[in-house]
Amino acid sequence: MDAKTMIDSLSSQFTGTIYDVSVESDIRIIAKVKPENVKDICRYLKDKLSFGHLCCEFAVDYPNRNEIEVVYVIGSYDHPVVLTLKAILPRDNPEIESVVPVYWNANWYERETYELFGVKYLNHPDLRPLVLPREMLGEWPLRKDYKGFPNKTARNLV
Amino acid sequence: MAEVKAVTPNNKEDMPEEIPGVMTTSSSAISDFLKKTKAQDLINWGRKNSLWFTVNAMGCCGVELLSTGMAHYDTDRFGIIPRNSPRHADVLIISGYVTKKYLPALQRIWDQMPAPKWVICFGDCAISGGPFYESYSTAQNIDEIFPVDVYVPGCPPRCEALIQAFVELQQKIAAKKDKGTEY
Ligand code: SF4
Repeated sequence: MDAKTMIDSLSSQFTGTIYDVSVESDIRIIAKVKPENVKDICRYLKDKLSFGHLCCEFAVDYPNRNEIEVVYVIGSYDHPVVLTLKAILPRDNPEIESVVPVYWNANWYERETYELFGVKYLNHPDLRPLVLPREMLGEWPLRKDYKGFPNKTARNLV
Repeated sequence: MAEVKAVTPNNKEDMPEEIPGVMTTSSSAISDFLKKTKAQDLINWGRKNSLWFTVNAMGCCGVELLSTGMAHYDTDRFGIIPRNSPRHADVLIISGYVTKKYLPALQRIWDQMPAPKWVICFGDCAISGGPFYESYSTAQNIDEIFPVDVYVPGCPPRCEALIQAFVELQQKIAAKKDKGTEY
């Protein structure tokens, strides 16, 4: 199965929830998804299209568009296609369904995305900060408008 | 983890008064007296020749710290021995960036070390922040938190630089110019 048939199968299964599909090459697909359906789509990808490997999951902050984009990069052990899914969330209340029930390794990705961007994952088994200290929760340091950088630093350099 | 207080010099008033079978004192009269005599030179000679350091490799500089303690550089001949327990150690080497999450643990290590104890700032990160001088997750201006005696710039400094730092620390101790003895 090549990239084209895969994305056709996916779009026919989930009409309306997958949009802006672009097949960049035989092994690269990029698509946007509706945030509500992300878990079902991942389930379908894993069960039917043998996308068994969530390579990474992260977020991108777009303050001008007032959006946070959650990006899933999903690969496979059986075929060379890599699929990039993007879910667009509102910046003031980013909430999305957790994909941990489908891809268990999303657990720490989601915890990290949560502590750095403030994306709230619904039904995540254990949504705690992963590497940041607890006091910094709520500062979302990787958002573009983060202000908490130390300004009293490196006195011998500046 | 238990609450970690800010690092302060050993507070004589905090000492418990009654421990069965143990005589405690809240005065440092003996050591104050010794400091005025020639005996302090002998004590310092002993101290400077047994600078055991804690093995807490914190950043990438930690790799240099570890290899300094290995057989190739053989720092044991100077009495510089890596110790895995802070309670055996005299020198705390801040070897890399101090993240906000690690700072309480580092202070705890420092509190656990018995006096006299010294601090070496190893690497740019510990001195001024280095590449992480504007990072959201690192604690800055470590020299305000710990009484640093020797700074070793470099990213990372070589093992020889760390041995040099120990030699300078020894000279400082012999000259009674170090900050650590008061701790
Ligand atoms: S000074 Fe350089 S080598 Fe050392 S911890 Fe910092 S970045 Fe790493």
